[in-house]
Amino acid sequence: MNRIVSGLFRVSIVLVMAFITLPLIVVMAASLSPSSQVTLVPWEWTVRWYGDLVARRWIDPFILSAQIAVLVSLISGVLGLLAAYVVAFEKCPGHAAIMSFLLSPLAVPQIVKGVAIVLFLSSAGLYRWVGTPGLVAAHIILTLPFAVRMIATAMFNFDRNLDRAGQSLGATKAQRIRHLLIPIIKPGVFSGMTFAFIISFNNIPLSVFLVRPGQTTLPITVINYLEYSLDPVLAAVNVASLLFVLAVIFVFEKIGGFSAQIHGGSK
Amino acid sequence: MGHALGTRSRPGRSVVTMSSITLATNRGRPFRTSNVLRQYVPLLPPSILLLVFFAIPMGMMVGLSFHPEGASTATLANYERFFTDDFTLAGLGRTVLMSGLVAICVTVMAYPVAYFLARSRSRWRAVVFALAIAPELAGVVLRTYGWLIILEDQGFINSGLMWLGLISEPLPLAKNMFGVVVGLTHVILPFGILSLLTSLQGVDPSLEKSAQILGASRISVLRHIVVPLTVPGIVSSMLLAFTMSASAYATPAILGGADFKVLATMVYEQVLFYIDWSFAAVMANVLLVMMLIIAAIGSRLEMRLHKKLHF
Amino acid sequence: MKCLFLAASAAVLSGAATIAHGQELIVNSYGGPYEQIIQDAIIKPFEEQFGVSVIYDAVGSSQQDYAKIKATNGRPGFDVVVMTASQSLEGCREGLLEPLSAEAVPNLAHLNAAISAVAGECGAVHELQYLALLYRTDMFEEAPTSWTDLYDERLDNRIVLPTFANIMAAFLTQLMSSVHGGDIDNNIDPGFEAMARLAAQSIGFEQASAILESYIRDGRVWAMPFWDGRAQLLVDSGAPVDYVLPKEGSIPLIATLNVPVGADNKELALQFVDFFLEKTSQERWVEGYKVGSARADIEVSEEARARKITTPADLDALLLPDLSSLASNLSAWGMRWEREVVPAAR
Repeated sequence: MNRIVSGLFRVSIVLVMAFITLPLIVVMAASLSPSSQVTLVPWEWTVRWYGDLVARRWIDPFILSAQIAVLVSLISGVLGLLAAYVVAFEKCPGHAAIMSFLLSPLAVPQIVKGVAIVLFLSSAGLYRWVGTPGLVAAHIILTLPFAVRMIATAMFNFDRNLDRAGQSLGATKAQRIRHLLIPIIKPGVFSGMTFAFIISFNNIPLSVFLVRPGQTTLPITVINYLEYSLDPVLAAVNVASLLFVLAVIFVFEKIGGFSAQIHGGSK
Repeated sequence: MGHALGTRSRPGRSVVTMSSITLATNRGRPFRTSNVLRQYVPLLPPSILLLVFFAIPMGMMVGLSFHPEGASTATLANYERFFTDDFTLAGLGRTVLMSGLVAICVTVMAYPVAYFLARSRSRWRAVVFALAIAPELAGVVLRTYGWLIILEDQGFINSGLMWLGLISEPLPLAKNMFGVVVGLTHVILPFGILSLLTSLQGVDPSLEKSAQILGASRISVLRHIVVPLTVPGIVSSMLLAFTMSASAYATPAILGGADFKVLATMVYEQVLFYIDWSFAAVMANVLLVMMLIIAAIGSRLEMRLHKKLHF
Repeated sequence: MKCLFLAASAAVLSGAATIAHGQELIVNSYGGPYEQIIQDAIIKPFEEQFGVSVIYDAVGSSQQDYAKIKATNGRPGFDVVVMTASQSLEGCREGLLEPLSAEAVPNLAHLNAAISAVAGECGAVHELQYLALLYRTDMFEEAPTSWTDLYDERLDNRIVLPTFANIMAAFLTQLMSSVHGGDIDNNIDPGFEAMARLAAQSIGFEQASAILESYIRDGRVWAMPFWDGRAQLLVDSGAPVDYVLPKEGSIPLIATLNVPVGADNKELALQFVDFFLEKTSQERWVEGYKVGSARADIEVSEEARARKITTPADLDALLLPDLSSLASNLSAWGMRWEREVVPAAR
């Protein structure tokens, strides 16, 4: 019986993994196909679409998206940390209300948030904020719920008794923060920041209204190109940015031990 | 990093019932400060940002929903239009059905993966984790086109099955509810996995081990220990998946076809094509209220299940 | 490692902070592969002649651009935008677009007065297209001649239609109304009835022109309505397709250049509009983008003369809807489309 169960368990994981990978393989095949007709035959594949990526049309939006995503990720990390600290550690009333407030942006369609922010900015006369500042702020609204959740979860894993033990052994507050608190919450902070980066880098609906003409983010450039042409170059853009995001995750992992979160902090 | 291990397998914290929606309050903060108000100070920067870039703009949208173009005073006309129109009501119904199906599919598919990630010591774990979050790394639009290429009438599945002679007519896999649910499940699965993972990590593995030593089968360990303890995680994963699908635009628009209208796609059209922001705000508000109701039902359900399944 | 990270983020911060707000002219228009055509035909010559640089913004359909102009109360960030005549009228009425005078844009005087009048005082008509019937040359023994040819039973499941969020759908409904005994503005019922029957013939609806186009290119559909400019580009690309102006006539798409009221470089924007309307610019545009022009004095190839709208007579042969009512009808027509046309497919 146990053997059947673990067999089924393994099969289910393989199936889910196949489900996850399938469309990614198709997009990869599309980026290597000579025309918009996707082919799965490897010897028909070509890398010429990747050559087309080295053009200002793709490079400029890529740089802008990366800049915005880095800013969003850093600020979400800091703000998420502050909010999660209050939610997780302070014994003040209204935790649930605070958390719902922080999570509430998730429940509004992004396009509505986008038009609302632009309407607000223009009625307040803040036209200059449309563009990078507005994009960063709007993306943070979206990423903050994820950052707060992840950081708060890491903080819940912090054991007060450990802190008391440290205190009774004469450790100062600064020492306890440095040696007890930080190592435990660091993975949560970095996983929150990684997610913020990914969400910002790929966002479309919020950005539609907030991009400044001539300074367009990569996903907006992609959907806009899609309106006019179905070239495999779009798939190539997608695969290339996927590789870029993977590289970023790798860097975050090196600095902050992102996967320590999933390894249960047992690293 | 040595301390971290110590905090994990401590017996006292085995019954972790916190979910992301109902937060445990019994933990207390480690570093005391005396002033009550000072406790809230760290909340200031995120709250200001949320106020300026979310609460005030959305407040304006709520106001706008009572002021259709041309109306001089506040009116419920647009709400009446929404609730008396079978077309928008059908869209609302479709939204609930679609999001509910996605919530179930995501949670069912994410659970074994999250369990594997939380318990396995195999070297495959890193690979599975990387693959599990991979969908998030690629943009939604292209991934959805990937699904379209697989599912459409002349897509890989249909042409494969027809080539094998198993079917003579293409199966209706895309441009309908099925295609949308498949696409959305794919988009949201990583969030479900992460959300369940957090919850599963809160369950002490030694509990399961002791049960097994006492002769419980894996199934009954799962049924009587793991699942009951992760009810909050299951509920929060379902709520997250529901919320994310109900407000998703690109996937239903691409995989759903012209007659598959959900609230989010209708909102998009009102904002960008008809430029009727008042009506768009009405739809967004209906969506918001719907999510609040679902969240309330979710936490009710969580409490009831918890009582029922808890040993 | 930490230092590197800090340095990197500092670099990013400073980079984001120093993005300049341009002295340059920002022009919003056609995207994708079509960007190259406007770059070569108009933008580069303009830059050379005026010694300025143009920032090109390809984001958004014209309706999205209009939404952005409205949301920002006339300060969308771009100085010149391509719209359609109906948006031009509406934007003028709402005070979002700058009225263009003959002093500021002298070349307006050379445009066909009737067409100019249609676009109102805020729009400079720089391009004319018509709704054409695009078909596969390898599937039709002889070229179709009438819009009613789309109802041929051999075309069952061989037609694709635009979604209503593509402005082509509204024009098509008006046209079909006229073809089937209604009229293009008020008595639109025959149009919806005809579109429902056409939907039953179709494989479905798509929004993006690129996707509509891909269906006829790979042979999944054999005929569809399409704007003549991109139809010509498709023919030129070597696809086995051709297009006709059916005998019942067609509806023109009158495209306009507009300047939002809050444009940063209004003066330069007006100069750009005027430059686009120059005789030589219009000639390059007609030959490059394969569209018609509202200037009667241009000299273009025989081929363009034959297939594009280049004379007042060409234009008189078309049905001109009341564009000011289109904007106000759009929402109601959209609802009818979703109820009456979309469910009829399949």
